[in-house]
Amino acid sequence: MSMNILINDTAVIAGENETLIEAARRAGVDIPSLCYARGAVHKSSCMICAVKDCRTGQIIPACTTIPSEGMQIDTRCEEVILSRTLSLELLLSDHRADCEAPCSIVCPHGLDVERMLAFYDEDKTEQAHQTIAAAFPLPEIKCNSCKAPCEKACRRGSIDKHVAIRSIIAEICSRSDSAKPSANGTDLPAPAKSQFLSRLGRFTEAERIRIKESLAGGSRCLHCACGGRNGCKLRLYAGQMGIKRSRYDAASASQVMIRQKIADKLWFEPAKCIKCGLCVYNSTNGFTFKGRGFVMQIVLPEENRQNVDRSFAQLCPSGAIYLSDNPEKIYEQ
Amino acid sequence: MSCTCNNHSEHNDIPTRTDAIINSVGRSRSMVIPLLQALQTEFGYLPSEALKRVYEQTDIDSAQLVSVSTFYTQFRHIPLGKHQIRVCTGTACHVKGAGNVFDAFIRHLEIPEGEISSADRLFSVEKIACLGCCTLAPVVQIDEKIYGHVVPGRVKEVIEDFLQSISEQEKEESRKAKRQVAGEVRLGMGSCCMASGSADIYKELQTASAQLGVEVGIKPVGCVGVCNKVPLIDVVSDDGSIHRYPNVKAIEIKEILHRHFKPSGYLKRLQNNILGHIDIFHTDITWNNVVWKSEHERTGLVSRFLAAQKHISTEGFGLLAPLNIDEYIAHGGFEALQKAIASPASDIIQTILSSGLRGRGGGGFPTGKKWEIVASVPSRSKYMICNGDEGDPGAFMDRMMLESYPFRVIEGMLIAACAVGADKGIFYIRSEYPLAVTRIRTAVELCRERGFVGDNIAGSDFSFSISVFEGAGAFVCGEETALIASIEGDRGFPRQRPPYPAVSGLHGLPTLVNNVETLSQAPYIVKHGADVYSSVGTASSKGTKVFALAGKINHGGLIEVPMGITLRQIIEDIGGGVEGGRRLKAVQIGGPSGGCIPAELCDSPVDFDALTKLGAMMGSGGLVVLSEDDCMVDVARYFLSFTCDQSCGKCTFCRVGTRRMLDILNKICSGKGTLADIDLLEELAANVKRSSLCGLGKTAPNPVLTTLKYFRNEYEEHAAGRCRTGTCKDMVKYVVTQDCIGCTKCSKACPVDAIPYTPYELHTINVEACVRCGLCIDECRYQAIRKIGLRENINEYEYSN
Repeated sequence: MSMNILINDTAVIAGENETLIEAARRAGVDIPSLCYARGAVHKSSCMICAVKDCRTGQIIPACTTIPSEGMQIDTRCEEVILSRTLSLELLLSDHRADCEAPCSIVCPHGLDVERMLAFYDEDKTEQAHQTIAAAFPLPEIKCNSCKAPCEKACRRGSIDKHVAIRSIIAEICSRSDSAKPSANGTDLPAPAKSQFLSRLGRFTEAERIRIKESLAGGSRCLHCACGGRNGCKLRLYAGQMGIKRSRYDAASASQVMIRQKIADKLWFEPAKCIKCGLCVYNSTNGFTFKGRGFVMQIVLPEENRQNVDRSFAQLCPSGAIYLSDNPEKIYEQ
Repeated sequence: MSCTCNNHSEHNDIPTRTDAIINSVGRSRSMVIPLLQALQTEFGYLPSEALKRVYEQTDIDSAQLVSVSTFYTQFRHIPLGKHQIRVCTGTACHVKGAGNVFDAFIRHLEIPEGEISSADRLFSVEKIACLGCCTLAPVVQIDEKIYGHVVPGRVKEVIEDFLQSISEQEKEESRKAKRQVAGEVRLGMGSCCMASGSADIYKELQTASAQLGVEVGIKPVGCVGVCNKVPLIDVVSDDGSIHRYPNVKAIEIKEILHRHFKPSGYLKRLQNNILGHIDIFHTDITWNNVVWKSEHERTGLVSRFLAAQKHISTEGFGLLAPLNIDEYIAHGGFEALQKAIASPASDIIQTILSSGLRGRGGGGFPTGKKWEIVASVPSRSKYMICNGDEGDPGAFMDRMMLESYPFRVIEGMLIAACAVGADKGIFYIRSEYPLAVTRIRTAVELCRERGFVGDNIAGSDFSFSISVFEGAGAFVCGEETALIASIEGDRGFPRQRPPYPAVSGLHGLPTLVNNVETLSQAPYIVKHGADVYSSVGTASSKGTKVFALAGKINHGGLIEVPMGITLRQIIEDIGGGVEGGRRLKAVQIGGPSGGCIPAELCDSPVDFDALTKLGAMMGSGGLVVLSEDDCMVDVARYFLSFTCDQSCGKCTFCRVGTRRMLDILNKICSGKGTLADIDLLEELAANVKRSSLCGLGKTAPNPVLTTLKYFRNEYEEHAAGRCRTGTCKDMVKYVVTQDCIGCTKCSKACPVDAIPYTPYELHTINVEACVRCGLCIDECRYQAIRKIGLRENINEYEYSN
């Protein structure tokens, strides 16, 4: 049975069992959402899709509400915008991760330092060199005249000592045998500084110890940049809503930079998880909730790893489950 | 083969014992909670081997096991000490210093930070949301034994007493009433009474009457509702007169019995007289006790305490034995059910509708309306759930009803089921209420024997079965959709309504969920008619409401009052005013979902809509009185830490929002807050209230919003670095005034040696070492220790006061 409803004063006919968000999107009204995915099992969690039911004055989630006849919905009023902004800010306060690596952000010459270090750690000197060359043709000169904000920004610095970025660049340049690096040596876009940037904040003492003890690798780089930042909805909406920083103190129940390898190229990083439950509801004996309230986590028991495939990277709205070619360092707890 | 481990057989045993439990409980996914409960009862915790076995042997997969076993507070994954010390941190206990009591146990047992068990694994200490003995606050439970009024200085004593009590082999004394009974002694056996030692009194009554040769019937009755006067016994003489003895001690029993009943033989009587006198001369306790006070003096307060009340839910209080079905029937029990069965369902619903009964669980939805909806959904099978998941810290009325009036609740459930056409009933009772669970189970069994439960009830075509489900400890399960999820074997996540459970609830069937108190009002309405019921109360709130009156009040207890009574009447006329003659500051009503109503608004009536208008809500019925000694910011923080801990975690506003509110409150209470923090808190609170998914989140900010509304000045004082009551530990220091005579009592009492032992000299307190537990203040007879602000010094303080 279809329902006649009003969305922002425009008449819309909602189909049988169609939720508000589906009806609205079909009518061309955009409602943001994180915990909703078309065709997937979803249960309201993020509250980004908040809309106002004008008859009751209540704020309701559009993703699970089935419209009733004559419903009047406002998706643009001040209350709705405030509610969405606050829910994003709250989520971001519990999302302890960097979108982009601090070193890459601060490089005055636009070098994606973290990516270069990733190639270096994989012994792909050639690609590392090409990354450098894409940013500036004469690295020796550029870097020698630079005050190296990259090294000052390096998160490793707050653990023991920053990564020796300039020496590594020099080493790469001396080792590289390609005299003429091609200008388009990389196929990924450079870090988008104009976009929203989530920041990890300070390490706790426990995190510092854990990372220091578990990390080994050529460059000693932590690879702060998020592997799931492309296609991250959380970042997209934060940018769209003009959020710079969450106004709430960041504190998370889960430790940062724990990266678990689920399957080949498929990674899970709990500190980025917004606990929307999409991966839980859509896996059979796969991901599951653990604990409750603020300390609730989403975990994947060891024996359940086989029940999860790469489609979950697509489903995850916050870059917590992502695909990455890089054999990243795993910092298990 | 060469294993020398003593527990070898026990280790090997786990799979076998687990299998036995699986066989008796069941293998389906929906049985996960009862299964885990049974495992925990067996092993004391959930051993990973047992969980693995469950995973292998049943339909429950590991995702579900992890998800459910970590959601509910009841389940433990690590073994605890041999004896569990549970410190109640309910509202009443909190305002009376439960935090300090908890710290004292940790210190006394030398439990390292971050752990819960003592090194010898004899004791483990944990905080528990509420034991439901609010009038005895602060309360501590060790295994099954409950200690009331525990102060930090008595911790050692409590532990010693407990160890002594378990070493003494308890002798089973069962004496059947085999002679003609001269009279009757009624003894309250609710949880409060039990906590105050009524089990000892019961035993003493048996021994004493045997020794004295007095032939009396000893009858354990349900909660008498005068919890501040327990243990309490009523002596019914053969002439029918009733004498009430509050606060009796075991030692007084002989005296009381002797007073009322003549021993059977002359010799025995003489012997008793002599023995009695010798007893009196040998124990000086008898001289100070209440026996020697006049009857009027003893019962006056209690009668006044009961006078302003009206008993509907608690009809027959102190009169009915909880599990005596004959007595219940003799007092008109099940008449309403017979009437309901004989009338058309629509008439019953109409009666409930016109009675104006509203749900007592908190929301206040018209009960008749709910019944009407469920009745209107065509379905071959329907569920009726009685919601007894009372998780509100500071409320214990559901526990009392289930324990003391099981038949009335069952009758209410049967009437509801008959009216809406339900055929399956479930009692959802939290497992922290073991007595309530047992009583309901027994009562259901008794009803089944009499044909009130089962097929073709009272010869009609109405059939109804009842089972009991034990909640595993999650406040959110009081919300009906979360409760249903939990019965289905899931985490207690609420879901978006509609569809309402009335249409599609448990296992997709229409489900009626009513609160215990709501159901216990139904028999009265059906029996006496809607008009009689609706003559009590206000225009929009009819009938009576049961409250758990606690906090800084002279006579706390369980009270049932007519709607429309003012809060001040409750405090003054029923509660006997604020404890210690202090000034009333506010009343916290409705627990973590409710709010604080300031003293100047206490003339407002108890009414669903009036309370909501004030920013509070009726809630489930906790009523905590706060005096000028209570810090309102701390009260708000206390409730928020409760809801934050109990949030299920499903939606952002409740999961992260309540936590961020708590962060800000912690900052304010530690003296680091600013005025901007108060504004940030207010904005966040308003949005958590507006945008959370379920009732828990929508009401969680109420304690913060009401205190901000009525006591904003206290927040601002905190931001300026001052807590006027000295409650916020981080904002005060303890100092010794010139009144000190150097008696060293404080020095001996100090658990952290912050007061040097300096006899006959003015004592000093090392501010750095002091943990501000308050023990020295309790000990000092000269009021020479004061709490002052960090930036103040003692001379200024004395001057300004």
